[in-house]
Amino acid sequence: MASVFSGAPPQSGPGYSFKQTPTEAPSGTRQHGFYPYTDNGGSTLGISGADFTILAGDTRHTSGYNINTRYAPKLFKIGGEGPDNKGASIVLSVVGFAADGEALKERLDTIVKMYKYQHGKPMSVAACAQRLSHILYGKRFFPYYVHAILGGLDEEGRGALYSYDPVGSYEREQCRAAGAAASLIMPFLDNQVNFKNQYVPDSGSGHELQEKPRTPLDQNHVLELVRDAFTSAVERHIEVGDGLQVMIIKKEGIMEAFHPLKQD
Amino acid sequence: MDSLVSQYSRPVHSAEGPSQDEHQELSQTTPPLSLQFSLPPVAQSSAWLRAMTDDYSNPNCPIKIAHGTTTLAFRFKGGIIVATDSRATAGNWIASQTVKKVIEINNCLLGTMAGGAADCQYWLAYLGMQCRLHELRHKRRISVAAASKILANLVYSYKGMGLSMGTMCAGVTPQEGPALYYIDSDGTRLAGNLFCVGSGQTFAYGVLDAEYSYDLDDEAALELGRRSILAATHRDAYSGGFINLYHVKEDGWVKHGFNDTNPIFWKTKLEKGEFSNVTADLE
Amino acid sequence: MNHLPQAWGRPRDDVYGAYDQSHFQMGGPNQHTQSPIVTGTSVVAAKFKDGIVIAADNLASYGSLARFTDVKRLRKFNDQVVVGFGGDVSDMQYLDRLLNSLDIRENYGSDGTPLNAKNLHTYLSKVMYKRRSDFNPLWNHLLIAGLDGEDKPFLASADLLGTTFSAPTLATGFGAHLAQPILRRSIPDEAAVPNVSREEAVLLVKEAMKVLFYRDARSMDKYSIAVVTKDGVELKQDEKLESQSWAFAEGIRGYGTQVN
Repeated sequence: MASVFSGAPPQSGPGYSFKQTPTEAPSGTRQHGFYPYTDNGGSTLGISGADFTILAGDTRHTSGYNINTRYAPKLFKIGGEGPDNKGASIVLSVVGFAADGEALKERLDTIVKMYKYQHGKPMSVAACAQRLSHILYGKRFFPYYVHAILGGLDEEGRGALYSYDPVGSYEREQCRAAGAAASLIMPFLDNQVNFKNQYVPDSGSGHELQEKPRTPLDQNHVLELVRDAFTSAVERHIEVGDGLQVMIIKKEGIMEAFHPLKQD
Repeated sequence: MDSLVSQYSRPVHSAEGPSQDEHQELSQTTPPLSLQFSLPPVAQSSAWLRAMTDDYSNPNCPIKIAHGTTTLAFRFKGGIIVATDSRATAGNWIASQTVKKVIEINNCLLGTMAGGAADCQYWLAYLGMQCRLHELRHKRRISVAAASKILANLVYSYKGMGLSMGTMCAGVTPQEGPALYYIDSDGTRLAGNLFCVGSGQTFAYGVLDAEYSYDLDDEAALELGRRSILAATHRDAYSGGFINLYHVKEDGWVKHGFNDTNPIFWKTKLEKGEFSNVTADLE
Repeated sequence: MNHLPQAWGRPRDDVYGAYDQSHFQMGGPNQHTQSPIVTGTSVVAAKFKDGIVIAADNLASYGSLARFTDVKRLRKFNDQVVVGFGGDVSDMQYLDRLLNSLDIRENYGSDGTPLNAKNLHTYLSKVMYKRRSDFNPLWNHLLIAGLDGEDKPFLASADLLGTTFSAPTLATGFGAHLAQPILRRSIPDEAAVPNVSREEAVLLVKEAMKVLFYRDARSMDKYSIAVVTKDGVELKQDEKLESQSWAFAEGIRGYGTQVN
C-alpha cells in the first residue's frame, strides 16, 4: 500500500551505514488502530499594520462534507479577565483540528493569565509568542494538528503577527493565511500586502521595471483586503463560508466584528 | 479491612480528570524548557509520528512539517561566513519565503537551520540557554567545540524519535580561532572547514569547492557565500527566497543583509555574464 | 545514499525503519474500544424560544442486528440538563456512571447552584478529549441539551475526538445527513430561535425522527423525547412514531430488476 502513495525510489536498497534497524515495516498486528485527528476545515488570516493587527477567520465547522455548525469561532482573546476575556490585548487564531485548537487555546490562556497574576503585568506578545512555540513543541512527538496565528501589539505599539507550524516553528510576519484556503488567500496577500510582482507604472520595461515600494497600509484598506480574501475563498473552497469573524487589535483594545458570508 | 474496602469501592473512573502534571504545569511560574515531551500512547511512537508527518514517504500525510533548505558555512582567514536561503516548504506548498535560517545563539555563536524548522529553532534556543549557563558557571565564554557537543549529545539522546535537523555551529573564540561544526539529528558531529547542508547542498558545494581558498579576503568570501546560495536557489526547487549572509569574527558576528535572490540573480547574470543558459530577453 | 534532493532531511529507512502505513488503518487486537460494538444511532435536538427538545430512539444495534429495543439513550442529569448519546452503548453506560458520581459529588459540597448545560458540556468534552489523547476513546457522539447560566437554551455536541460545536439544531450520526437539513429548514440560525414555539419544535423533532425511521436501517419507531425548559425536564421514554405514511415507498424506482 505504501508504494501507492510514495513517489520515492525504493528505499530498501543498501543503506549507507551499518544497518541496525529493519528496512521493512514491522509485521504483525498493530496494538492501536484509533486515528486521533480530524480536519474541521475553515481558514484564518492575519495582517499587521503600523499601529494595529487584524485577525480574521471564517466560522464554518465541518466534518468531511457535513457542516457541523455555521458559527464556531476560530479567534480567541487570550489573557483577559472573566469569561469574556475583557481587557485582553492578544488574539490567538487556530485552524485545523478544532479539539486540539481548543485545548491549545485553553492552555495558552491559562498560562498568560497566570503570568499576569504572578508578575503583576500583562505578558508581552513577544513572550507569549515564544511560549506558544514551546507549548506546541512540547507535543513534538504527538503534535497538535493546528496552524496557529498569534496577533497583538509589540512594545513599541506596532502591529505584531506571529505564525506557527504544527510543531512550533514560528516567525514574525506582515501577513499570513492558514487553513483550508491558505493556498487561495496567501498569493493574494503576497500581491496586495507585500506588493509582490507589482511594479511602478511607466518605470520602463523588462529589466528596467521598478518594484512597487512597500508602504504601510491603513486599517480600512486592510479590512477591505481581508473581506475580499474571504469572499473569494468562499467561492472556491467548500470548507470555507457562513460567517467571518474579525478582530482588530489596537492600543484602545480589541474590536470584534462579524460579517455574513455565503452559506452554500 | 479498610484497605480492602477502598480497593473495591474506588470508582472506576477516578482517572478522568486532568493529571497531576497538568495541574502542576498551570501553577508553575517559569516554563521548564523541560524536555518532558508528551508521547502518543502507542507501542511504536516514532513510527506513528513518522506516519503522521513524513510527507516524502506519504504525500497525503495529515501533518506537514516545514522542510527544505540550502545552508552553508566556511572557515577562512578572516573568520567564518554563514549563508542560507530563506524558503520553507511543506509538501509542494511554499510555507514561507522569509524564514530566518541563521539562528543567533548569542552574540558570537551562530547556528543554521536545515530539516525540521521547529526542531532547529527549539533546540538552538535550548543550546543558547545552556551556553549562557556555561558562561555564568565558568566565568568565560563556551568554546564552539563544547557548545556543538552539547547539541550533538542532546540530539543523540533523541535518536530514532523522529527529530530532523542538520545544523552548523559557527563561532570564533580566542582559544580555538574560527571553529565550525556540523551536527545532525543522527548524532553526527564533525569539525571542518566547509559545509553545505540541505536539499540544495550539492549545488552550493559545486560553486564553493571551485572558488574556495582559506586565504580569501573578507569581501571575496562574502561574495562566494552569496554566489553559492544563489546557485542553489537557482537549481533546487526547495530553496529560494532571500539570501541571508553573516560574517563571524572574533568580536562577534556581523550581519550582511537579507536580500531578495531575484535582483541578485539578474545582477549576476547581466553584469558578470554568468548563468548564460538563461535568456536575458524578458519579452 | 539517496540522491534525490526531496528525500534529504527526511527520516531515512535505515535509521527509522520503513514507512508504516498501517498507522492509518483500523484493526488489530483490541485493547480499548477501537470500534463500537453495540451501537445507538442518531440523536436529534432543536432549540425553541424558551427551551430545547431532544430525541433519540430506543434501539441498540449489534452490527445490523436490532439487538436491544428498550435502551434509553437520553439521560436526565438534573432539572436543566439532558444528555443524548449516540454510538457505543457500553461507553454510554460508562459515561452514565461517571455522570452519576459527578452528580453525587456536586450535591454533597455544593452551594446549591446545580451544574448547568454549559458546565456539563465543558466537563464532558474534556473527558472525551482526554480519552482520545490517551488513544482510548469513548466511542460516542453526545448532545448536551439544556439551559445555560442565564436560563437561555443551550445545545452543544462533543464527539469521540473531543471536537465540540454548538448550533440551534444538531443531529448526530445518520441524523447529521438526514435530519439536520429538515431541522435547518425551520430553524436556520440563532435569530430564528425566538420565533419557534415549544409545540412547533416538538413537532419538528418528531418529524425528523419519522424521516430517520423511514430511511435509517439502524433505527426504530419507539423513541425517547425530552423537553427542557425553566420549569424542568419533561422526559418521555416510550413514545411511538405517529401517523407514519409509507406512501412514498410506492414511488421508489430503480432497485433490483425493476428499472422503471
